Amino acid sequence: MSDPLLVVRDLHVTYRSSRGPVPAVRGVSLHLDRGETLGLAGESGSGKSSMAMALLRLVPVGTTITGSVTLAGEDVLAMKPGRLRAVRWAEAAVVFQGAQHVLNPVHRIRRQIQEAIDTHRGNGKVADLLEQVGIPRWRSDAYPHELSGGQKQRVMIAMALACDPELLIADEPTTALDVMVQAQVLQLLADLQRDRGLAMIFITHDLSVLSTVADRLAVMYAGRLVETGPAKEMLRGARHPYTKALAAAFPTIGDQSSRLAPSGLAGDPPDPMAVPSGCPFHPRCPIATEECAATMVELHEISPGWEAACLKL
Amino acid sequence: MVGLALMTLFVAMALLAPVFANRSELQAAAGRNNPNLHAPNGKFWLGTDEIGRNVFALVMWGARVSLYIGLLATVVAVVIGSVLGLIAGYARGWVSRVMLAIDDFFLVLPFIPLAIVLALLLGRSPTIMALVIGGTFWAGGSRLIRAQVLSLRERGYVERATALGASSRHIIMRHVLPGVAPLIIANASLIVPGAILAESTLAFLGLGDRFSPSWGKVLEGAQASGALTLNAWWYYLPPGLCIIGIVLAFTLVGNALERIFDPRLGDR
Amino acid sequence: MTTRLVLKKLIDAVVLLAMVLVFNFFLFRVVDHDPLAKYRGHSKLSQAQRTAIIKRFGLDGSKWEQFVRFVDRTLHGDFGRSFNSTRPVVSEILDRLPNTLLLVGISTVLTIAIGIRIGIRAGWQRGGRFDRISTPFSMALYGTPEFFLGMLFLAFLGAKLGWFPTGGVTNPAAHYTGFSAIVDRARHLVLPVATLTLGYLGSYSLVMRTSMLDTLREDYLTTARAKGLRDRDVMRRHAVPNALLPSVSLIAIGFGFIIGGAITTETVFSYPGLGLATYQAIGNTDLPMMQALFMFSSVAVIVFNIFADVVLTFLDPRIRVGA
Repeated sequence: MSDPLLVVRDLHVTYRSSRGPVPAVRGVSLHLDRGETLGLAGESGSGKSSMAMALLRLVPVGTTITGSVTLAGEDVLAMKPGRLRAVRWAEAAVVFQGAQHVLNPVHRIRRQIQEAIDTHRGNGKVADLLEQVGIPRWRSDAYPHELSGGQKQRVMIAMALACDPELLIADEPTTALDVMVQAQVLQLLADLQRDRGLAMIFITHDLSVLSTVADRLAVMYAGRLVETGPAKEMLRGARHPYTKALAAAFPTIGDQSSRLAPSGLAGDPPDPMAVPSGCPFHPRCPIATEECAATMVELHEISPGWEAACLKL
Repeated sequence: MVGLALMTLFVAMALLAPVFANRSELQAAAGRNNPNLHAPNGKFWLGTDEIGRNVFALVMWGARVSLYIGLLATVVAVVIGSVLGLIAGYARGWVSRVMLAIDDFFLVLPFIPLAIVLALLLGRSPTIMALVIGGTFWAGGSRLIRAQVLSLRERGYVERATALGASSRHIIMRHVLPGVAPLIIANASLIVPGAILAESTLAFLGLGDRFSPSWGKVLEGAQASGALTLNAWWYYLPPGLCIIGIVLAFTLVGNALERIFDPRLGDR
Repeated sequence: MTTRLVLKKLIDAVVLLAMVLVFNFFLFRVVDHDPLAKYRGHSKLSQAQRTAIIKRFGLDGSKWEQFVRFVDRTLHGDFGRSFNSTRPVVSEILDRLPNTLLLVGISTVLTIAIGIRIGIRAGWQRGGRFDRISTPFSMALYGTPEFFLGMLFLAFLGAKLGWFPTGGVTNPAAHYTGFSAIVDRARHLVLPVATLTLGYLGSYSLVMRTSMLDTLREDYLTTARAKGLRDRDVMRRHAVPNALLPSVSLIAIGFGFIIGGAITTETVFSYPGLGLATYQAIGNTDLPMMQALFMFSSVAVIVFNIFADVVLTFLDPRIRVGA
């Protein structure tokens, strides 16, 4: 139990596009213990989802992944396709942003959950799984379009639990749900995580969401980590100027007005094909100096268990 | 690129036909003194047909007829399709429903039999053939345009313009038409090959003008004269290959245009 | 719910059929001022003969009377007599129907089955070896008029190599019986079926390929992959069922074009079915025959479309329950 469940070292993810290679993740290292929840935050385009999907090599054909991903002692990037398929869902499952089209519209939800169980010869029961996420058993015959957004998200969570994984990757699981439902789904995930001793990577662009679920936070910008540390302390007083701006953008959970007009974060995230020199955040940073544009800065410890990549810290 | 090159070639063929072959060579009398169904030689580059006419001349002039009918039919189809599509998308209530029913009707009716009936009743000159084909070929395009208008309307600025008191005519001309214009152009370049194929089919079935023959009409002659069993390949291969070439040319260009105008399709 | 939906589709179809009927009537009577202008040798007829013929073809009385009579006769399967053979049009059609059903039936099934498979495979591995070969091939087939394809088959496989008969449905010279008669019949079918099948294969496989490419973008395929499914199962269970949906109605509309293709294919191979009858009706300006053939093909296409709509209702739960 002393070994971390997941160790990521110097991960790079580069997509292929008609305009040339797109480096979405540019050297991320992190680790996750069993039963621990890591909140992974950043704007869209920061590379957080690419990083998470690369953990299971769920990337389009032609994408290159380098570095190493060690899940329960095994190198995921070196796995043969058969072994990789066995690891997917059985060891690490994904909760996608379920409100939209992550469920197949032509199959009943029962069949879609059963398919995951059968693929991995598990012995979970669809009805039990649905009950655990608060969906009545009789709904298992429903098609996705007959369910509300929140219900679809619950079905997605039930499906993720079907093979009793050790790691749950939740990719913006509450985005696109309305505020009440967001809070319910968040609570459900927190409860399940605690009861089952799941390790979880919770991805979001909304820092405030993480306060209820995360043990540690990692903040990404332009394909790199800019700050990582204990969740409570970081949410109380972020140190990196980007994290501060991100925290200011979403003061309270699901605050719709602030989502539409994030305060304190002017400008757009950089184009992954033209990342600024030095610290990539310097063009938008309120405290940047000339030095920031010239010097590439690595994560360094600023207090025990708390690291940031900023020259000013 | 290949499409554009092929297209240029065929347009050049149509334009330069009079340079290479005199129009009188298409008349029945032109072949009176020539050998019938003769293999290609120095004088007749593509041999002769069953009444001694120069196949090369037929093929060159065929480019003219096929392109003329194909393009005119497309214009007709695009005009009808755009107008009805705009109305069907813009109007509400029963007008929209009636338009949709008419559209459904023409979409479902088997095209070739319908065109045969019309051509049989109206006549067989190239212009009439073009009108017949255009008049029956618009339903798919009108549906596309209707869908686009509906999605433009959802974006709200039409509603705003209405609220500001703009007339329907003004809204259609200023706001809706610019939004659907690229779609109309891309759709048009995809109607051309269909119209050319349709024309060749009708001509092959005997609904064409014998003395301004399109490629389909030349093929009909080849079929009827027994060129197939007599192994007179020079008679049927050139016009057939021309049809394939021109259809591919327009299809490739149309697909490229569609990709330019609708970036969503970019990676197809 | 399903029953109500099917019922609604049936009503739609009846409306469509009624429109065909009205359209047909106007097409043949209003466009043409002198009903006998197209009748062969009409200038030599006496007044009595003219009246008799006009009456025989139901062209007397006011337009409204004509229309009522026309609908009544059509519903009773009475399409008048052929200008050419003077036999009832219905018996002309019924005589030839089995040949055409055989040709169009086999070809439609083959085109759809093969075209869909090619499209699925090409779309699933876009840019792969199969796609790079099959898609230009489909494009070329799409660009080829089916009758030209038929002419090539006839000239090379028929006339030159002599592998297959070049026309007809049976060999009239040899009086085959039993099994050899079936073989003879089948041999006559090979080239026409190959022509009609290949003639429409290209457009079907291209339609299916596009639909497949659209489906590949869907999130539920990532879900299926994340679940640890084999690629083959992701395709078979998740991509294909969804990609088929938009293709169904396009396939149904395409059936109208297959019918057009049957006309030229039968013409090329002198295959005595409704297509050849159409060609002959054009040659003889045989309006009653043409009118019936047009009516008949419209009905066939409409029926095929209802069938496709009903199939779609069963394939797509969103239509079934949501409507």
